[in-house]
Amino acid sequence: MRAKNTALKYGKPDSEDRAFPRLMTLPTLIVLLVMTAYPLVFTVFYSFTNYQYGKKGGYKIIGLQNYQSLFKSPYFQTAVLNTIKFTILAVLFEMVIGLLIAVFVHSLLRGQKVLRILLLLPYLLPTVTVALSWKMMLSQNYGIVNQVLKFFHLPVHNWFMETGTAFNTILLIDVWQNVPFVFLLLYAVLQSVSQDQYEAAKIDGANAWTTFWHITIPNIKGGLILCALLRTIDTFRLFDKVNILTGGGPAGTTSTITQFLYNYGIKNLKFGFGSAGAIIMTILVLILSIGYIRKTVS
Amino acid sequence: MKMKKLMATGLAAAMALSLAACGGSSSSGTDASSEAAGSSSAAATSAGGSGAAASGEKVKMTLALRGGTYGDVIKQCLPEFEKENNCDIEVLELEFDDLHSKIALDAQNSKGAYDLVMVDGSWMAEFTENEVLTNLSDAGYSFDDDIIPGTTDICKDKDGNIYLAPYFGNVTVLLYNKDLVKAAGYTGDNDIKSWDDVMKIAQSAKDSGKNGYIVRGGNPDSILSDFIPVMLANGAWVVDDNNKPTVDTPEMKQALTQYKDLAATGQSMEKDDIVAQIDNGDGALAVGWPGWYSPTSDSAGSYCVIPSKLTADGKEVNTSLYGTWCIGVPQNAPDKDLGVKLLEYLMDKDVQLSTVDAGGVPCRYSCLKDENVLKNHPTLSVVCDALEKGVYRPVIAQWNDFTTTFGTEIDNYMQGTESLDDALKNAQSQLELLMQ
Repeated sequence: MRAKNTALKYGKPDSEDRAFPRLMTLPTLIVLLVMTAYPLVFTVFYSFTNYQYGKKGGYKIIGLQNYQSLFKSPYFQTAVLNTIKFTILAVLFEMVIGLLIAVFVHSLLRGQKVLRILLLLPYLLPTVTVALSWKMMLSQNYGIVNQVLKFFHLPVHNWFMETGTAFNTILLIDVWQNVPFVFLLLYAVLQSVSQDQYEAAKIDGANAWTTFWHITIPNIKGGLILCALLRTIDTFRLFDKVNILTGGGPAGTTSTITQFLYNYGIKNLKFGFGSAGAIIMTILVLILSIGYIRKTVS
Repeated sequence: MKMKKLMATGLAAAMALSLAACGGSSSSGTDASSEAAGSSSAAATSAGGSGAAASGEKVKMTLALRGGTYGDVIKQCLPEFEKENNCDIEVLELEFDDLHSKIALDAQNSKGAYDLVMVDGSWMAEFTENEVLTNLSDAGYSFDDDIIPGTTDICKDKDGNIYLAPYFGNVTVLLYNKDLVKAAGYTGDNDIKSWDDVMKIAQSAKDSGKNGYIVRGGNPDSILSDFIPVMLANGAWVVDDNNKPTVDTPEMKQALTQYKDLAATGQSMEKDDIVAQIDNGDGALAVGWPGWYSPTSDSAGSYCVIPSKLTADGKEVNTSLYGTWCIGVPQNAPDKDLGVKLLEYLMDKDVQLSTVDAGGVPCRYSCLKDENVLKNHPTLSVVCDALEKGVYRPVIAQWNDFTTTFGTEIDNYMQGTESLDDALKNAQSQLELLMQ
């Protein structure tokens, strides 16, 4: 009898056993349906309509017209290229600088806590504050950056108004603000790497580069991939900084997909057009992230 | 090890310094003083008497206003009205785009959130089409003779019904630095009469190592607004009588070429930098708005009416662009009667006069020609002249998209990423698609 009970316990669960876990996952499913599935379905639906909030007469289904308008628009094409270029450069710089700082801070015997806090602060600031602060520091009239450059007889720039500098200036600000996130995540991953491996490498006479390349990197690979994925998704949605600092100019050099959608869709409450842009943007993020996602899953 | 310590200290110092810089520079704000308008008591009383006030229950009102001087001058008049009408007024100060979307979104609710809103003239077509605003004529409001007639055109629909009242007389003017203008042989007192004069002053300033003519950069709407006076002086315009785009024309080419020549004497800047340059003498000339800058007789800068002729003996045309901030009452306002009363109170002659010292620019002859006012604010006579002969942006529902597209193409040409022909050709084709 005892043996039979045990067999029952570890065998195929009956319907009563299955019901309980299903009940437990129900709240999560409901939240997912309401918060994710419902808006997604409606975004897809509205992308095929000419829906403009507040316009009398409702909306009608217009098929692929919104998508056609987007692909035909030279301003959208510029925005897509700018966004991809910006994302690749920003993620690359953030990953490299963040990793170097994380490895450096991790190797310190003292002062790690203080540095950790100080390095994290830019990431804690609201984006609007960061943008306005940099705007003032780089101002043509009273900005400290140009004043310092003038003092050293170096050429000064109209940072946000020149086609040669606007894109790179926003890139610099974005990297400055987001390096701490990469640092923090990789620093946490570094904590979990076994010290035995480093000691063994030291005994074998490995130099700093060999240790970094053959021990540190393989051990934190998962963290690097996750970090790159999160930064790619976040950078692709870049909006606040561009909107505050350049509005997409000069000559469209800093125009991003979100800025384009704001100018031509959201600002005029053209939610149909905006939804089509959002769908394209999601697909592009998925394409850019697919490599990371595959590696994370595997 | 020493190297590590040094790098750690360096990193910590760099972070601390950069954050200190952020903290120090993030203080900005537009909080206005809440002083009551001195001579406005009578107007407030006459506007009072709502049902709620009579019952002794305090009414809560909410206003959606444009941030900056435009909203500040209204805020300073409110305490008197609150006292006389037993109400509490909450003010939302918003940026241009935010204000537009908040009003449009709120219009969809059966009971709205705002009792009075500030409206840019360029939104009138869209708001009338979507029945966002209350018909003020039906509510018994009418314009008196003191209001400058040109400023009221945008406030009415085709049938003459009033939906808005012109509150802040924003109209483009020519900002100039007195010293740099004087160095070029002008005084600024009615002697900058043509765009040839503007070019001479700009070139003179450039030759002395300063910025001559500063053009406005940033978002496409700002770029187009800055260019419109030059466009008008050259006889070009963005649409014809049937609202068909007309941007690829010989006149427009001539205007853009002249604009680029002017820009070559200075730089492209944003609003705050333009004002700073004029005020500190680093820049000579720029197109601006009275709401940006309120010079007194002692200020280093001043402004005059934008020249209406290309050359001294050229044809005279209106070149000042209206950007009047109007006030209106939403169709779904929580207390429409009280909203209309507040509008009447704010449009009162004495109440408006009391706002001038705080930077207010009423659209009234009595305020802009008042001798006492002109002693301290001589430039208001310039505003009065400009308001009498201003030009409105086209009243089309697609204006937001229109200005984004054309502004972007102007910027492409000005920055040298497109040729003049390509920029205008692209603008024309894109705008035709938009207006279909």
